[in-house]
Amino acid sequence: MRRIESSGWGRTLRSTSWEFEPHSRSELQEFIADHDYSRGVITHGLRRSYGDSSLNIGGVTIDPAFLAEISFRPDSNIVTVGAGVSISALEKVALTHKLFLPVVPGTGLVSIGGAIAADIHGKSHHTTGSFSAYVRRIQMLYSDGEIRDLYPEGPSMDHFWATVGGLGLTGIILEADLQLIAMNEPKVIVEETRVKNLEEMLSSLSASDERFEHTVAWIDLSGDFRGRGIVGKGNYLPHNLLGTTPSSLTSQTIKESTTLPFPKIGSKSLINKFTVRAFNEMWFRKPLTNGISSIDSFMHPLDRIQNWNRVYGNRGFLQYQFVVPEGNEDFLGHVLKTMKDLGAASFLGVLKKFGEGSRGHLSFPKPGWTLALDIPSQIDHLERALNSLDAQLSARGGRIYLIKDARLNPEFVPIMYPKLEEWRAIRHNMDPRGMWQSDQSRRLKLC
Amino acid sequence: MLNAFHSPQSIALIGATSQIGQAIVRALPMENLNTCFAVARHQEAASLSLKQILPSRTKLREIEFQAGDTQSREKAVDLLFAEGDLDLAIIAIGVLGNDPERDESANALDVMNVNYIASGHLMLLIVERMKHQGHGQVMVISSFAQTRPRVDNFVYGSSKAGLDFMARGLNDTLIGTGVSIHILRPGFVRTSMTRLMPDAPFTVDPDVVGKLAVKLLESGDTVGYAPAILKVVASIFTLLPRNIFLKLSNRK
Repeated sequence: MRRIESSGWGRTLRSTSWEFEPHSRSELQEFIADHDYSRGVITHGLRRSYGDSSLNIGGVTIDPAFLAEISFRPDSNIVTVGAGVSISALEKVALTHKLFLPVVPGTGLVSIGGAIAADIHGKSHHTTGSFSAYVRRIQMLYSDGEIRDLYPEGPSMDHFWATVGGLGLTGIILEADLQLIAMNEPKVIVEETRVKNLEEMLSSLSASDERFEHTVAWIDLSGDFRGRGIVGKGNYLPHNLLGTTPSSLTSQTIKESTTLPFPKIGSKSLINKFTVRAFNEMWFRKPLTNGISSIDSFMHPLDRIQNWNRVYGNRGFLQYQFVVPEGNEDFLGHVLKTMKDLGAASFLGVLKKFGEGSRGHLSFPKPGWTLALDIPSQIDHLERALNSLDAQLSARGGRIYLIKDARLNPEFVPIMYPKLEEWRAIRHNMDPRGMWQSDQSRRLKLC
Repeated sequence: MLNAFHSPQSIALIGATSQIGQAIVRALPMENLNTCFAVARHQEAASLSLKQILPSRTKLREIEFQAGDTQSREKAVDLLFAEGDLDLAIIAIGVLGNDPERDESANALDVMNVNYIASGHLMLLIVERMKHQGHGQVMVISSFAQTRPRVDNFVYGSSKAGLDFMARGLNDTLIGTGVSIHILRPGFVRTSMTRLMPDAPFTVDPDVVGKLAVKLLESGDTVGYAPAILKVVASIFTLLPRNIFLKLSNRK
């Protein structure tokens, strides 16, 4: 083991832990069975959780990179994949088999273990649900050193659904069987619409959900914060359009994704109301995409620039992502007004309408509107303002996405996640030693 | 655990009736504060004051202890860590040694026992626990009086100098552990403990000290003065020839 300092994607919290990098399952099994240390163990994937979900200060963190196998079954859309494999890597291999993941997040740099532990969602949530809907089996290492298979139905279902969205606090996910979808051509027909305000954005998203497999809106968090933005919609290129150039798509451009490194800028943040205003104005006025896009470019826009989180400097940033049930659209406006009052301009604001939630006890998605805002952490009075929004959100039946969180007050967790007690009981049954711990589990008093 | 704003979730004020200690708590960010341990000999007075400072949602945990009793200190520290991690401990116990009902040597013994032995022991115990949890800050209240022995308070000054010395040395051993010690050296502070004494140059109120203490914690620096100008004065005091220093320090 070696001592490492790490942080979440938001870079607001740094944590020193003992990193264990096993090379085989037996080595990992032996380590866990013999481990006796009160600060516990947590597995980290590619460290895309924004706050402290993958941190374990004073304790042990486990790198699952060795869990890198991908194996396809003949005549089946099921793939068995190691927990350390990234979504991007799996996508690339799956496409060679003319298959694709039904649910992918905005970044492909999420490990399969992380995707399950956060029960991630994507632009397709209204049609596909979250990641767990396509997980057919989870193979997990328990704190007693035993490896067990969990299924969404049957005797192990409680353990399965406690693990889905369970933030890595039920055990170490080793591998999973995932149900993929057929994908002949990795392309998406994209349509973008500019909208002038929040009302237009909400109605455009609602209307688009009926016609498109993927919908999401970029919201301008600067200027007057009225909620103008761009609604992006997409459908996989249908089989009958392959190799053709339909007249309706004459302006189409095939976009291949390219990745650029973020320049080294030192410790200072480049984010201020002027730079954000300029960027957002330019982005709002950009030529709209109406045509065919590569699947990678459409699905993972965040991956075009590596380490873009450094733009916020050493102080880091928060992502405030919540879901609020339909009928509470005024709350979205209230959040925008709060951001305006705080002067919390941001270039990344994403709005989407969720479909049905999953059975995961701590799974985030539920029907309603989800808004994700990146906010520099050094904004004055931000902590108080977000606490106040949390109180209003929980009173309206909404919740915060825990994998993005770095500042929620523990008192709100049982209100936002009403199955928390049930989850705790299952978790205790799975891990009576209390081995699985993270900075977040301690901060939010989850276990 | 600290949150993204580095606001503490759990703190302990040891010597919870200390007005300087309370002023530090008052100046801390409270948005994330779930638990405050009040460690004091006179629990009632401590709780009464802290209840007025803390938000209603913050749990106040009372721990009664005798600073001069080794076992009482150990038990108190056990309780501080019994419910989970502790983000910040403020060690604010101290006596001036001016009890008119006791003779000079008894007063001196009190000063040495409380200011050096008890404070130092608590610091060592707390740091050991914090090293295990991998994080934490300890705020130690030293004094400007530790700069150089003065004829009117050399016993008090020596007790603070000892504590200050130990805190700096201990802090040097903590590099890479996630734990840090922060030493505040206030000058003359108007409190009930000093109410019968005349103001000295650069006298401040406890709230000024509290704000500077929190600034010190946020900066991550090891040593800070309250008010800040005393850093310059301390440098001059150290360099002054003895005869001039004696003349200055004897001036009433």
